[in-house]
Amino acid sequence: MNSRLQYITLITSLPHIGRIFTEHGTGISRYRLEERLKMLEPEHSRLLERIVSVTAWSSVSKIETDAEIIGLASAVIQELTCYPDLQELVLLRMETRTLIAALRRRREGANDAGDVTSWGFGRWCRTIRENWNDPAFGLSHIVPWASEADRLMKGGDHVSFERLVLTEVFRQIGRHSASHEFDFTAVVAYVLRWIIVERWSIYSTVKASERLRGLLAEALKSAPSPFSAVPETEIAV
Amino acid sequence: MNEFVMALGWLGLYAPVALGAIGSCMGCGIGGSAAIGAMLDTESGHGRFIGVSLMPSSQVIYGIVIMFSLQRDPMTAEAAGAIFGIGLLAGFAMLYAGIRQGEAIASAINASKAKPEIFGISLAPAAVLEGFAVFALVFALVLSGSIPA
Repeated sequence: MNSRLQYITLITSLPHIGRIFTEHGTGISRYRLEERLKMLEPEHSRLLERIVSVTAWSSVSKIETDAEIIGLASAVIQELTCYPDLQELVLLRMETRTLIAALRRRREGANDAGDVTSWGFGRWCRTIRENWNDPAFGLSHIVPWASEADRLMKGGDHVSFERLVLTEVFRQIGRHSASHEFDFTAVVAYVLRWIIVERWSIYSTVKASERLRGLLAEALKSAPSPFSAVPETEIAV
Repeated sequence: MNEFVMALGWLGLYAPVALGAIGSCMGCGIGGSAAIGAMLDTESGHGRFIGVSLMPSSQVIYGIVIMFSLQRDPMTAEAAGAIFGIGLLAGFAMLYAGIRQGEAIASAINASKAKPEIFGISLAPAAVLEGFAVFALVFALVLSGSIPA
């Protein structure tokens, strides 16, 4: 099938995602989405996988060091030379993540940014370093929601913070894919939005407490036993 | 020289049909692909998706009408230049209208899948494009009346 027609069929076969934070949900299951994405050309499938590997939190959380993430982001942006809007989208996503990392570091008591390029990515590193004490890191003209994010993070309102960030990322995707209706960029934008909506829709207090219990059990398993330092004879006594 | 002008005349005579057919093929292909995709995602309303995807087929019909209105028997060198100009430009208008109409229909199908109540109004851009193709048809017919027999 002609590639253009193939993408028209693919896009129209995907349900409308709509707005984030509604009861509507993703509209399509992961399995069915993966089935539909088989219509992609092999090279586009590979590129999509690479973009997801650097933008989706579930993939990034498996990477252990900041340097690896930075290296991966640079490589993915390099591979997207033919898709400038996707390049910009990935770059902006990494920059947003850098801003959030800076907010977290400052909340944890860091007095300065240190070497931002070792844990951050993109065009805002220098501005963040030079404006460490500004609530929005001197980026309020580019990122108007940064001050609000800072306020929510300092106030410990993590749900509202997450909501704000996801809303902004959702908007970023919309802005960068606005001029693409039936092409690869539109498919990537759909998948990235789907991931955000799915991430939000699976949030639940029950699951969160289960995860916390799991993490605690894991940490306790690897922790040294309080009796390990006591000689066996003493225990017997 | 005379033969060359005559050849241009024949080219202009058939151009509306050929270019109109290409426009209709591309437009119906684009609209049809959207309709097929929409059918994968919806449980009903398949008929209307396929129905609107055939909208660009009108371009080739207009092309046939223009061809008959331009036809002169026999073809003369005096008429050939006018037939070439009118036929070729009308053909390009049909070609472009067909492709763009297909794209407008694909967008309409995609949008109305999410919001079925806008199905009718979402076809307005495609209808306007149809109107432009009709302008090209009507004025080609008007001008064909002033071409010497």
